[in-house]
Amino acid sequence: MTHLVSLQAELERSRRRRQWVQLLMLALVLVTVLGSIQVIIIEDTDWDRVGSFGQIMESVGRFMALDLSLIPHLGIPMLETFLMACLGTLLGLFFSLPVAWFGALNVTPSKRILYPFGRFLMTLSRSIHEMVWALIFVAAVGLGALPGILAIAMRSVGFISKITAEAIENIDPKPVEAIRAVGGNNFQVMYYGILPQIKTVVLGTIIFEWDINIRRSAIMGLVGAGGLGLTFFRQMAMYNYGGVTVVILAILSLILLGEILSHYTRKAIV
Amino acid sequence: MNAYNSIQSKAPAREWSRYRFPRDLFRFTALLACLLGLMFAIDFLGIDLARLLTLFGRVGEVLSERYFPPDVDYVMQGDYLASVVETVQMAYLGALIGMLIAAPLAWFASWNVTLSRRVLYPLARLFIMASRSVHEMIWTILFVTVLGFGMLPGVCALVMFCIGFAGKLFAEEIEVIDMGPVEAMRSAGANPLQTFCYAVWPQIQTAWTGIAIYTWDVAFRAATVVGFFGAGGMGWYLKRNVQQLETERVAAILLSIVVLVVISELISAWARHRLNRKRDANRIAIEAEAA
Repeated sequence: MTHLVSLQAELERSRRRRQWVQLLMLALVLVTVLGSIQVIIIEDTDWDRVGSFGQIMESVGRFMALDLSLIPHLGIPMLETFLMACLGTLLGLFFSLPVAWFGALNVTPSKRILYPFGRFLMTLSRSIHEMVWALIFVAAVGLGALPGILAIAMRSVGFISKITAEAIENIDPKPVEAIRAVGGNNFQVMYYGILPQIKTVVLGTIIFEWDINIRRSAIMGLVGAGGLGLTFFRQMAMYNYGGVTVVILAILSLILLGEILSHYTRKAIV
Repeated sequence: MNAYNSIQSKAPAREWSRYRFPRDLFRFTALLACLLGLMFAIDFLGIDLARLLTLFGRVGEVLSERYFPPDVDYVMQGDYLASVVETVQMAYLGALIGMLIAAPLAWFASWNVTLSRRVLYPLARLFIMASRSVHEMIWTILFVTVLGFGMLPGVCALVMFCIGFAGKLFAEEIEVIDMGPVEAMRSAGANPLQTFCYAVWPQIQTAWTGIAIYTWDVAFRAATVVGFFGAGGMGWYLKRNVQQLETERVAAILLSIVVLVVISELISAWARHRLNRKRDANRIAIEAEAA
């Protein structure tokens, strides 16, 4: 009986301690949030420039006067953006094959050197924003669609190769052993033993990434790779806010199209 | 044995081929179409394939000649470090406000518990999809045009980005919950808010926390570059130095971005890992209780 009572007291005490910790965390979060609001929103903002609510609504209103005369000129940039996303995803897949091979623990050629290297490449590719990749490639290969494609490819490598490497690590090792046992070389092991097992996962991932890449390729024009981004940038530079809205609507419709396409392709594959 | 052989030889010999008629025709036609599409794309975008071949040599050359010794002193300056802190705060605030808006939206945008399937569901879906579809850079430019330079438009852009990102993941998490508790609450006469708080929330709590950590991580990644279009933080320094062709400083800034993002990713991976362990432990405890 006394044992039970002491247990209850112990439980009560631990609950109270947990509540204290939670309260402390909440206070900490509140203080940091208030601090950030003070620094970022109140001190740093030029409230005269923002103006009153009416003035904000007025500048929003300028975007609402759609410039429909732009629509005939949007076809080619839309196609460019779409193709840039497709080629970027394809090139990204091409780059991610070796990275996935290095970064999968069970097939990597060397666990000491290439495995960490592959993992590092995956993190590096994902942690650099596509704008930054685009800046690097515009500096290296000049303006045009090529730097956009390369930037999208580099940004896609991380995700595709990470999922692929995880799929390779989770395969059933028996087919691989069977092919080894009948004398298959490394390439045959990969082609007949590993590839059939990871095919669906990789295809699903590529479709997913392609869908995201349409979104990314729509902004590549902002740093000098063509497509809808360039049209957006031009409309912005001309202060033609109605045109800007039309370009954004074009981007939205392209993405909607991509989402519908990827939905049906995924259904057809899986 | 003889009889068997004779039967075999009398049977019409069946042709075995690696190629099967309709299936392979479709397959090769699709392959051909893909190749043609690829050629068309390369031609349409005016890509010089010869340039692609020498690409890595040239990228290496550019990096080593112009970007190489990164100007580390530049990123160690007080001004720049202050902008790093501002970037962190921007991401923090943007992710927090974004998720506060995304949570009710996700509730409305999940088919199984939404308040009204006719009105609120499509509206919330549309809002989440629209904020997800427009890239955070475009949001930044739009908010800078409306609100002027500074960190406020950056925070607003991140808020929109987080609504799209977290809203979708939150809603997906609600849609796979066990509907038993929800029905129990409803049949006991609970109002929608009570149903959400006592039947839905306990089931999604851990998953949402994981998503929240991930959202913060992704928002930070976006926050490093929103300044590129005038929304404060490190991106502004990046833009200025890119335009002044101070390539060694650009290299240093890019390096600092990579280092910070990797650190934030490590922290978020560690936090999510701990959370998952806790979730597994919880699940085991629940299963043990049920058994």
